[in-house]
Amino acid sequence: MNPGPQVVTYLFGKSYLPVTDTLIVGWISVVLIIILARYLTKDLKIRPEGKQNIAEMLITAIHDQIEPMLPGEGWKFLPLIATLFIYVGFSNLIGLIPGSTSPTGDLNTTLGLALVVFLISHYAGMKEKGVWGYIKSFGEPVIFLLPLNIVSEFAKPISHSFRLFGNIVGGGIIITLIYQAAPGLIPVPLHAWFDLFIGLIQALIFGMVAISYISVAKS
Amino acid sequence: MVELSPEVIEMVIRSASVIAAGLALIAGIGPGVGMGYAAGKATSAVRRQPEARGSIVTTMLLGQIISGSTGIYSLVIAIYLVFT
Repeated sequence: MNPGPQVVTYLFGKSYLPVTDTLIVGWISVVLIIILARYLTKDLKIRPEGKQNIAEMLITAIHDQIEPMLPGEGWKFLPLIATLFIYVGFSNLIGLIPGSTSPTGDLNTTLGLALVVFLISHYAGMKEKGVWGYIKSFGEPVIFLLPLNIVSEFAKPISHSFRLFGNIVGGGIIITLIYQAAPGLIPVPLHAWFDLFIGLIQALIFGMVAISYISVAKS
Repeated sequence: MVELSPEVIEMVIRSASVIAAGLALIAGIGPGVGMGYAAGKATSAVRRQPEARGSIVTTMLLGQIISGSTGIYSLVIAIYLVFT
């Protein structure tokens, strides 16, 4: 039993650019999200009705999470945070379909997303305080803390990515073990718990931690 | 000095890594206690100030995430020990 991502095919030749099953499910979920977004925002009206209400509710709920931590810049960071939240949430929910593996159960996916947040938080901090002012802020309050601050800065993307990866993979392994021991109706509530509840909570948490890293770098 | 065959060495390494994975999950005690403590404090805070419920829940979740990281690290190490 090997729970990791399996190499399905290669993009070029026989050994270049391996394509794993998690990557394929990730592409499928990206396409589904694009189709869903196009459908929900097709003909927008001043007075929202029907499907437009759903889209506005989602966007307003995410904006309400960003606004208290990054005052005045909610709409500026909304595209990044909403993309992270919707992609991670959709990837976790797609694990409900039997035979598909969640793209977030692969460290490559989560580490990629966490590195994007890492780079953007440093860029936002440099834009706020200037390049030299931002670098100088690592040596505060005492210069002895410089190595500790740098190490804790590099621990951020690692813990950010491992949190999502560990939760999804742990749930997947427990569900696989239960399937081997007792197939049938018993794993169904476990799917509801690990895929629906933990998946959505982890997506929310991934977005919220991204907001808090950006706001820490800016202050 | 006793010469051990490769199969015996392989078996010893496998069993030792499974035991080590079980020991690594002892780390789950810490995050459990910490997150429960945070949730209890948040409950009493909501009881004192029911109108500040939203921001209390957000702060509690952020604190629980940070304290829950150690448990996730131990889980990742246990998975690594068992499946490699």
